[in-house]
Amino acid sequence: MRKGVLFLAVFLSAFCMVGSGDAGDTIKVGFVDTYTGPATTFTNDVLDGFKMATEKINAKGGVLGKKITYVTRDDKFKPDIGLTMAKELILKENVDLLVGTINSATALAVSDLCKKEKIPFIVTFSKSDKITGEKGHRYVFGMNENTEMAGRATARALSKKKFVKYWIAGDDYEYGHAIANGVFNHLKTLNPKVQLLGQSWWKVGETDFTPYITQILAAKPDFVIVATGGGGMVNFQKAAQSTGFNKKVPFYQHTAIELSTLSPQGQNAPEGVYGTANYLFYFPDTKENKAFVEEFRKAYNRYPKSGALYGYMTAQFIAKSFEKAGKVDREKFIDAMEGMTLPSPVGNMEMRACDHQVTLPMFFGVTKKSPKYDFLIAGDIVSVPGKDYMPSCAEIAKVRAK
Amino acid sequence: MRRSAAPVLLLLLLATLLALPQVLPRFHTYVAAIVLLTALLATSLNLAIGYTGLYQFGHAVFYGVGAYGTALMLTRSGLPAPVAFLVGPLAAAALSLVMGLICIRLSKLYFGMLQISLGSLVWAVVYRWYSFTGGDDGIHGIPLPDMIASPKGSYCYTLIVTALCVFAMYRIVRSPFGKVIQGIRDNPVRAAAIGVDVRLHQLAVLVIAGFFGGVAGSLFVVVENSVFPDMMFWTFSLEVLIMCLLGGMYTFFGPFVGASAIVLLRVFASVHTPYWSLLLGTILTLVIIFLPDGVLGVFARRSIPKEDPGA
Amino acid sequence: MDFAANLFSTGTLSQILVGLSRTTILFIVSSGMSLILGVLRIPNVAHGSLYMIGAFAAWSVIQFLGGGLFAFLAAMIVAPLVVAAVGFVLERGFFSYLYEREHLMLLLLTFAFMLILGDLVKIVWGPEYRSVTVPAFFQGSAEIFGLPLPWYNLFLLLVGPCIAVFLWLVINRTDLGKLARAAAVDGEMVGAVGINVGWIFAFTFVLGSFLAGLGGALIAPMVNISLGMDHSLIMETFLIVIIGGLGNMWGALLGSLIFGLTQSLGILIWPQFGIAFPYLAVVAVLVVRPRGLLSSTW
Repeated sequence: MRKGVLFLAVFLSAFCMVGSGDAGDTIKVGFVDTYTGPATTFTNDVLDGFKMATEKINAKGGVLGKKITYVTRDDKFKPDIGLTMAKELILKENVDLLVGTINSATALAVSDLCKKEKIPFIVTFSKSDKITGEKGHRYVFGMNENTEMAGRATARALSKKKFVKYWIAGDDYEYGHAIANGVFNHLKTLNPKVQLLGQSWWKVGETDFTPYITQILAAKPDFVIVATGGGGMVNFQKAAQSTGFNKKVPFYQHTAIELSTLSPQGQNAPEGVYGTANYLFYFPDTKENKAFVEEFRKAYNRYPKSGALYGYMTAQFIAKSFEKAGKVDREKFIDAMEGMTLPSPVGNMEMRACDHQVTLPMFFGVTKKSPKYDFLIAGDIVSVPGKDYMPSCAEIAKVRAK
Repeated sequence: MRRSAAPVLLLLLLATLLALPQVLPRFHTYVAAIVLLTALLATSLNLAIGYTGLYQFGHAVFYGVGAYGTALMLTRSGLPAPVAFLVGPLAAAALSLVMGLICIRLSKLYFGMLQISLGSLVWAVVYRWYSFTGGDDGIHGIPLPDMIASPKGSYCYTLIVTALCVFAMYRIVRSPFGKVIQGIRDNPVRAAAIGVDVRLHQLAVLVIAGFFGGVAGSLFVVVENSVFPDMMFWTFSLEVLIMCLLGGMYTFFGPFVGASAIVLLRVFASVHTPYWSLLLGTILTLVIIFLPDGVLGVFARRSIPKEDPGA
Repeated sequence: MDFAANLFSTGTLSQILVGLSRTTILFIVSSGMSLILGVLRIPNVAHGSLYMIGAFAAWSVIQFLGGGLFAFLAAMIVAPLVVAAVGFVLERGFFSYLYEREHLMLLLLTFAFMLILGDLVKIVWGPEYRSVTVPAFFQGSAEIFGLPLPWYNLFLLLVGPCIAVFLWLVINRTDLGKLARAAAVDGEMVGAVGINVGWIFAFTFVLGSFLAGLGGALIAPMVNISLGMDHSLIMETFLIVIIGGLGNMWGALLGSLIFGLTQSLGILIWPQFGIAFPYLAVVAVLVVRPRGLLSSTW
């Protein structure tokens, strides 16, 4: 036992010697995100978009005479590590604000921490609508669409189609159910004629969809809402392609038309899949978007995905808000950010004051082959403006009061 | 160990640890709390694995159930907080009893693998039961009594509970009951021959280990204010097992040392390298090859003879 | 919900066929694990990592050869061989020195390898998704009672029995296989009659790794190849090996069948909870036969 005590003492002293970080004359942004595993497809774009914007801002002399710097921490898609890393950034690195997480559980945990520590936290990729909805508070901001928004935007687009008999299928986790419910419930209110034939849910990471597909085909629905996320997107599209599912029944996946889903499959992605996305590098074909794509390609030699837009706009919002606040003060920063509207590659983006959720357009389209690219792109694109599909401030107030 | 020196030393250590938050930066206080509760978790597992020779491969489940039990009571029941802190560990102990009854008939690896699969079922239930457990999002912003809500308060609470639990386990190990379970570990057949009810003792150990694992889980709620299904995933169970092994599973304080090492390594290595798994795997490989009895095991004179896996 | 109508619809047969093709992959991977368990007594947690390496290696081979049927078939052979080589290094380089150790240590060593191999895959192939397309030869699907069954699944249905026969021949008709079987029953006795047990162990480990790699290569066209695909598989493999009887290869086949079919038919009977059926089957089996369906080798 004495040896144990001795060892504890050694650990303790070694532990105490680890120094703590310092705060320089910069605006320090802490990134907690997943930089391990499949999620990096999305998170690296956020970081690169952010880098690109801050380099430009810093080259022009920074904000309030201070340069924007950043540190990154990998949460390995695990909420407990994410939470520890967030604490490390706040308490030891003394960051001015936090950005990040693709994992909704981590985002919610870090958001709760930031509320207590009074640190602004900008969520860049988590899709849970609880973040700025039910669990929203003064210190958390949403820089991307969430499941509720995606559901409403899609319902709006689908309500104009003639499908009646629907089937719901998806990854059996929070995100899948939230997307599916979001789409169908709103669709039902917009078009009371639609009916739900049935549902199938598979475990996250399912590899063989054929049994589900045969089951769905047997029920002969008009349209299928497929609520897959992350790796499930590509897995399901592959299964759809090999069974010819997409040719028999039209189906929808949120982010089906996004580059991250389509480019790994090359020319073999299924055609005719309905999808929504916040960002497409080829649409809208405006000067701003072209310039953004050009700049991003020059810097990283690839096309920007949605994440690049989120990261880029995060940096813009941070810089402009501190500028408006006039000094590096977290409370003033939040006040400045509320209600701010900034131009973006896809048009104006507004940070709503009531729920700290950014308002941005959603693109609804169908996958098709293109002679210009060696992967599929979206055609028949409909742009749903942000204000048409956001839950209203009154609705947000209601869920928060619950 | 002589009786005279140890209690004084221990009290001194406890006093130092209690005073730590006064001098340590907040982040370090927080990490120290994580170290303590993880060490408690590893020590509780070691009751089963090191002292009784039961291949408890799903220990994180009891940790998770303890945490979820506490968190759900705090957020949903409206009962006073101390009840919640008792219900969590008791739920873990109850689950431990049920799983023990199912697995106990089996030997060694079979026991472990069945336990891992039952544990996965529990994990799956927590992961999918959205309306009750919050599903994969977990539960956040758990309300705590003011006393233990502050960083210093949570640290001190963690320290005191951990100290009490570790002391209790130490007494258990040193008691006649402790001798019997070590006898069962070394030779179950002989233990049975001299009239020991092997199954009953093994079950008792499982329940005790589950209970203290649950206590560690309830401490996680105090320190992190959140619970996630990830904390009962089978990979974490194996990680706790590694802590025991790293420190030395045939010593009482080995798991404590192993847990401290791994938690500190994870926190401070994660800051510097994305290849944390590679690092941990390499260290583990080296320990298994060169220090089969763990870090503290090197100092222990007695080493345990190889056991027959088929027993 | 009308369960009976669902069960006796025309979809049942195609659902069974689909379940069988799922069984193929599960069987190939879990038979590898079962072999290693039976002979070496190691519950190899790194088995899933070997499967993942198989998938990544198949991607590399197909990338290198530029796609097409030939590249695909080459990948089906080369990738498992690469994984077998990794297995050989692991066995000769580490496990062979450690068989005297407690089996708990060996289990943890395999866990350490799982961690290391996971990061090594990340270093070699990068963290992004990789995707292999089904060669043109297997694209499209056959119509069975009006429902589609992809040709690739039919191909898997052919591969499964071939592998089973191959394994049966290796284990029952070759000297090494017979020795491995003997070593599974009583390793010490085999050693005592003057046979080099070390090489039997190496052979078994390499064969088991080969099977894991083959499973990975075969699944590659159906999924996106990514880090973490090892985690999702290893638990299922464990359960299959448990319900089949530890170390019993036919048990692995039976377990895979139960897993594949209960899942497919479960979807038919109760779509929302299809995924729970295999687990219920596992619980049912273990309540009736706690040591698995077929005799365990230990």
